[in-house]
Amino acid sequence: MKTPREILFERHRAAVPKLNKLRRETVDAEFPRRSSSVALLNWPALLWRELIWPCRRVWMGLAAVWILIVAANFSLRDNSQTAITESSSPEEIVTAWKQQQQLLTELIGPNETKAGLPAKRFSPQPSGRRQVEVSVT
Amino acid sequence: MAETEQLPVQPAREGNPAAWDALFRRYQLPLYVYVFDLLRDEHTSLDVVQETFIAAIRHIGGLRDNAKFGSWLFSIAHQKCVQSWRKPKEILLDEIPDSPDDLEDSPGELLVRREDEAEFMNLLNQLPQPQRSVLLLHYIEDFSLEEISGITATPLGTVKSRLHYARKLLRKLLEENK
Repeated sequence: MKTPREILFERHRAAVPKLNKLRRETVDAEFPRRSSSVALLNWPALLWRELIWPCRRVWMGLAAVWILIVAANFSLRDNSQTAITESSSPEEIVTAWKQQQQLLTELIGPNETKAGLPAKRFSPQPSGRRQVEVSVT
Repeated sequence: MAETEQLPVQPAREGNPAAWDALFRRYQLPLYVYVFDLLRDEHTSLDVVQETFIAAIRHIGGLRDNAKFGSWLFSIAHQKCVQSWRKPKEILLDEIPDSPDDLEDSPGELLVRREDEAEFMNLLNQLPQPQRSVLLLHYIEDFSLEEISGITATPLGTVKSRLHYARKLLRKLLEENK
């Protein structure tokens, strides 16, 4: 005598090869083999599936923030460039620089910094000798 | 069930493909038998079994108790069958296909087995669908009433009464046939 389980299973025994195939396909699809060649060939897909897709909302948020930053940067740069091009020609810049120099000399005095300080000679010495001098003093 | 305790559910949780393969190999035929009984179409049943496998891999985190893996898998399959019923389809529910393995065995063996099988299957198919589902789950995997209740998303009392009436009806039909 057979149990109901045995009868039911025997009735569908012919489906087993199809089920085996289906099972292998499913496991292979869900767990792609990590052999080096396949991994190298499929690394963009792997990157997308493992890194990008699970946190897609975070990545989209970051991308939006970067787009805003770049847009703001471009708009600021455009404004400053137009301001420079509109306001000054080379002659005007030179004139303004000369005026600033003149003002500086009036405030500080001509060559005050150079005259006030003694000229310092640069005489390179071997490091050993310097050590001796330090120890003597 | 002692057999369930030996199943590699924990390695499967950790993403071991061999463990998943072993689990699916264990449950593929019982699942198919159950799903086929609900859907009565080979192609759709195979699709549902595959969808069940994929859902199991992707949602294993939802399984609280490793020992309940079998009933959890059957509950996924049951839900997929219900979804399949809701879709428009061309399957005739009254159509019962012939035994697909008739040509596989030797004629002597086949005659004896076909007799048993045909009798049992005829009687089983005379049962109303809800009672047959409960009885199949009981026969195929020896699930407890609580587990069957979880799989079919039916109250425990309903499962009890369905199983009771299914057994009673099957017994009556068997006696009438003799």
